[in-house]
Amino acid sequence: MSEPALRAVGLGKRFGRSVALAGVDLDLPKGVSLAVLGPNGAGKSTLLRLIAGLARPTSGSVHVAGTPAHRPAARALVGFIGHASLLYPSLTARENLLFAARLQRVAGAALRIEQLLETSGLARVADVPVAGFSRGMSQRLSIARGLVHDPPLLLLDEPFTGLDPRAASRLAERLASLRAAGRTLVLVTHDPKRAAELADRAIVLAAGRVVFERHGSEGGAEALERAVLAAGDTAT
Amino acid sequence: MPPDSPAMPWIRRSLRPSGLVLAGFMILWAVLVVRAPVDSMQGVIQKVLYVHVPCAFSAYAGFIGTALCSALYLWSNDERFDRIAAASAEVGVVFCTLVILSGPIWAKGTWGHWWAWDPRLTVTLLLWFVYLAYLLLRSFTEGSARTARFAAVYGIAGVLAIPLNYFAIELFGGAAMHPDNLERGSLGAGMGWPFAVGIATGLAAYVHLLLLRTDLESLRAEAVGAERLSGG
Amino acid sequence: MNVFLAILWKDLVTEWRSRDRVTAMLLFSLLVVVIFHFSLPGGATRETQATAPGLLWIAYVFAALLGLNRSFSLELENDALAGIALSPVDRGWIFLGKAASNWLILGVAQAITGGVFALVFDVDLAAIAFPLAGVVALGSLGICSVGTLFAAVAVRTRFREVMLPLLLLPLLVPVLLGAVRATATLLETGALAFEPVQLLLVTDATYLIISWLVFDFVLDE
Repeated sequence: MSEPALRAVGLGKRFGRSVALAGVDLDLPKGVSLAVLGPNGAGKSTLLRLIAGLARPTSGSVHVAGTPAHRPAARALVGFIGHASLLYPSLTARENLLFAARLQRVAGAALRIEQLLETSGLARVADVPVAGFSRGMSQRLSIARGLVHDPPLLLLDEPFTGLDPRAASRLAERLASLRAAGRTLVLVTHDPKRAAELADRAIVLAAGRVVFERHGSEGGAEALERAVLAAGDTAT
Repeated sequence: MPPDSPAMPWIRRSLRPSGLVLAGFMILWAVLVVRAPVDSMQGVIQKVLYVHVPCAFSAYAGFIGTALCSALYLWSNDERFDRIAAASAEVGVVFCTLVILSGPIWAKGTWGHWWAWDPRLTVTLLLWFVYLAYLLLRSFTEGSARTARFAAVYGIAGVLAIPLNYFAIELFGGAAMHPDNLERGSLGAGMGWPFAVGIATGLAAYVHLLLLRTDLESLRAEAVGAERLSGG
Repeated sequence: MNVFLAILWKDLVTEWRSRDRVTAMLLFSLLVVVIFHFSLPGGATRETQATAPGLLWIAYVFAALLGLNRSFSLELENDALAGIALSPVDRGWIFLGKAASNWLILGVAQAITGGVFALVFDVDLAAIAFPLAGVVALGSLGICSVGTLFAAVAVRTRFREVMLPLLLLPLLVPVLLGAVRATATLLETGALAFEPVQLLLVTDATYLIISWLVFDFVLDE
């Protein structure tokens, strides 16, 4: 019986007056993808950052493949692609990837970086400083950066924001192929259609709690959309 | 329903006993100070020391308290420790200010000038700056959890700076103008008790004010929690 | 260890590309030296020579404050600090990498400033260059250790430029006392005094260890 890729039990993050998350339970087996939706301020980014080990929970627990998320061993299993690009503008694409690879202690980094640059379609601009990149190119590099250590669990925080339709569909293809290759994805998105298309399960967060959960795709994107709207109403 | 802020009911219950203890000490102390003999060399002004020294003990106790609670907060992630740490700093800075104000009063009365870079007073001045930096850090950080964490880190670093500063200033600083007469032997007759009781009073005051301040903070947290429940 | 080197490499490469940090630090500390020179009456007299070490270290501290702030404000762009925090290592190594790059970059500014200072205040440095470099290195180690820790804190508060000096200066008193005294003795007698160096060593060790231990909490969210 293998460990679930991700398990959260009563996960909470709060301090005094502000409650970011309150009692979230998740049980995600390996290879199953999860979409996280909800109104702004619902705690979606916080949830992702807790799973990535960037923040520590104040109540409950979150484990990645059986290890508490805050431990270094768990951080090695997670690829995080956040709101911001996590890139250094004065370094080139290749240097950014090299730095990330060294931070993640990747063996055989040089080869891996070349492969990633190829798959991201950035080989031609590998030695151009990131400051000159378009949003789409930065996004592709961010994802390559998140994948540099070949993590089994991938966390993406609203990756479709600001992308033109062509870049967005390329991203969707990329995520679909990652999913097909057996990685576990947790995708925060505002778009119910993308959620339905790219994930096996979906949850809707509001005010730090899970208010809607779905395993499978009954109701399609419309059901998700209704759930998000309903969550938005109760939150205000 | 959002969870309640962690409460500290034992604080409320301790307020009355600690208040009574403090009142008792203060009366005893006042009596002893008034009846204490006037120092032959320094005159009546020497009695300022009966305030100055206890305040110094409490000022240092305050920051050690803050540092201890900071370490406990970082270790346990329990926000109640942070509340005590913050309260301890707010109470301690008051005592520290009193030390720095009363010191020159005594110095002017005995040595004739307001300030001297004597090791103990200088280190206490530095402590005062550390206190202020701690409190400013708390007000200028946004996000309560982050505030608590950053303040805790500074509390621990600050407490280490105190012995380092003391050591440093001792090595190089000015001549010691502090009367080194806290050892019983060189204190004049009849001065031992007022000092001892004074220190006890100062510490009792620190504890009582600490409890008061922490209670206030707890009340505030609970009030906000209740507000949330009622949808306010 | 690899992570330490990676961060050091990244910081130095980034700095080399723009050279803005070291330039700003250098300009600032040179300005301080020049202003002090003008504000002291009579030029290079015996009295001014006595105050020279203190002034030098004041210039160094100002430069350090500038550089320390910048080293973390760069990391806030694009949330790059989160990228570093994701590294699966003990976060003490991250602290060490940052502190080392700060120390090296500060060292460059210090060396050049020291040279100009010697010219302006008519001090002969040739004979004592090595021990002086050692003292300066020890002093900046103290500054950069607890300075890196609190730069990471200050940069995420309001009024970050004001916050760092406020937090740092009381803690730097032992470092400055030791460094100034050691520098002064070196300039006067040409020999290293034991006590100030001992103070520097103790303070540096204390600050390095405590910063290593608590840096994890500073990177947390």
